[in-house]
Amino acid sequence: MRIKFWGVRGSIPAPGPETNRYGGNTSCVSVHTASGGLVIIDMGTGLMHLGNSLMAGAFGKGKGRAAVLLSHTHWDHIQGLGFFAPVFIAGNQFTVWGPGGSPEVLEAILEGQMDPNFSPLQTLKNFSARFDVRAIGTGDATVEAEGVAISAWLHPHGATTALAFRIEEAGRSFVYASDVGYPESGPTDDAIAFFRGATVLLHDSTYRPEDQTTRRNRGFSSYEDACAAAVAARAGKLVTFHYDQDYSDDDVDEIVGACKAKLKPHGIDVVPAREGEEIAI
Amino acid sequence: MKVRFWGVRGSIPVPGRATNRYGGNTSCVEVRPKGGAPIIIDAGTGIRKLGKSLMEEAFREGKGKASILISHTHWDHVQGLPFFSPLYRAGNQIDIFARQRDTHLAAVFSQQHDSPYFPVPLSAMHADMHFHELIEGARFDIGRAKVTCARLNHPYVAIAYRVEVDRAAMVYCSDTAPFTDMLLGRDFVPTNDFPTLPPATIRELASMRAGVVALARDADLLIYDTQFTPEEYESRPHWGHSRPDDAIEIAREARVKQLCLFHHAPMRSDDENDAILKKYRKEIKNEKFTLVSAYEGLEIALGDEAG
Repeated sequence: MRIKFWGVRGSIPAPGPETNRYGGNTSCVSVHTASGGLVIIDMGTGLMHLGNSLMAGAFGKGKGRAAVLLSHTHWDHIQGLGFFAPVFIAGNQFTVWGPGGSPEVLEAILEGQMDPNFSPLQTLKNFSARFDVRAIGTGDATVEAEGVAISAWLHPHGATTALAFRIEEAGRSFVYASDVGYPESGPTDDAIAFFRGATVLLHDSTYRPEDQTTRRNRGFSSYEDACAAAVAARAGKLVTFHYDQDYSDDDVDEIVGACKAKLKPHGIDVVPAREGEEIAI
Repeated sequence: MKVRFWGVRGSIPVPGRATNRYGGNTSCVEVRPKGGAPIIIDAGTGIRKLGKSLMEEAFREGKGKASILISHTHWDHVQGLPFFSPLYRAGNQIDIFARQRDTHLAAVFSQQHDSPYFPVPLSAMHADMHFHELIEGARFDIGRAKVTCARLNHPYVAIAYRVEVDRAAMVYCSDTAPFTDMLLGRDFVPTNDFPTLPPATIRELASMRAGVVALARDADLLIYDTQFTPEEYESRPHWGHSRPDDAIEIAREARVKQLCLFHHAPMRSDDENDAILKKYRKEIKNEKFTLVSAYEGLEIALGDEAG
């Protein structure tokens, strides 16, 4: 698997020189599987740039196919959709998996973004590509997409919930766990069980612990939560992700440095998610 | 008055090195009458940093007062509002003005805060918020400032604003296409294959254009949607945006003193924006107005504030 980061920021895009190194786009990650499939996770503003890059290949010719996994439908995880060039090319096919309980509910939520009050696209039906919306159940679920097995785990995120995903291929695994809100005691047993032995664990690292204390109700992890999860689940690598919109690159450096110091004794590597960078599993 | 730009981008925010100088935030402009409360035009992502700056003032204590004029409710003009800190402080008074259409404004703005999309409902934002629906030809006062508006040619609906105070007038004209094909009132414009227009529509477009020229008449500053180059416009006349060439014609006819290129295309790099400004500065050297291109942090002092 090759994993590439297109958007690594939480809540709202944060342009400006102070975010140049890690990037200011909201959440979007692409996973190219060894067998040639494409899985896109979350549709923040990073999705526009992924789309522009995909247009150079099969998607530009209307011969592209991808699965899209949605952790949840907060703006920073769906706001790139209207700017994703491949959906305007007939012949491309997308299957979208996400929360909502039923395909109808999830599709209605995504339709809401295209409402004429807010968007000139009016409806998802104006996409030229095939755009099938499916739903992942409210409990644990496994789907087969793009030739890989993907399992999902529904976890608390503030007053709501979000899905974490685990993609398995050839004995290796990639876990995407963004917007994770643990109780004050930290990562829960069901979280650890879902992350167990992941080759790469991408984990919400929105806050420094001191900033999390005053924002506990928002449902995001601190980097300490991310480290605790990586250690307890014996992950091979931790990828820090979903940085707070007010954090500068220097602030994120501090988070990454703290994670490295914490995880070194456990032999766990830390790779910060940075826009445009790629890791191979 | 002082006019300050907090977001100058169209369509979608674009962080990254290529936009460091002009800025990647979507539309937001602050108009400050001398010693007065801020009049904010549009609430794209640029309003987040404006909000932080306002929290250094009376807004921190819940004693602030601001007005927000919304050109239209497309995402790039409203998506920053949930991140506007003064709205979370009880006591602040925020008046939001936008066009009347079939859905009540409060309902439209609430939708952005619906639980599938955002964790905090609009009703949980503690500031004293008032929505004001504007009809065609509306005129109103905000403190000492006089505000007038005109319809624009953009899918669904959009309006331009003129703010006059401190012996100066600024006009904000975004988003609009040129007045050659009818986009206003249409929910979705699928292609650039426009039918031959009936005479009534041609008259309506001419009247809309005349309304914009009248609104901009003798303005000290005209901020205009110039998202497209002429080449880009050829394939996207149905997207509802103009070229610098269209803005220049309006500026000339309205006899404005300064024209400001605005609502830059998302993929336009700083270097490309520089090149566009350079090209059009050459073209207008015999005109009676000056030309600038909006960037985040640009502040223009007008009238009594111009010194």
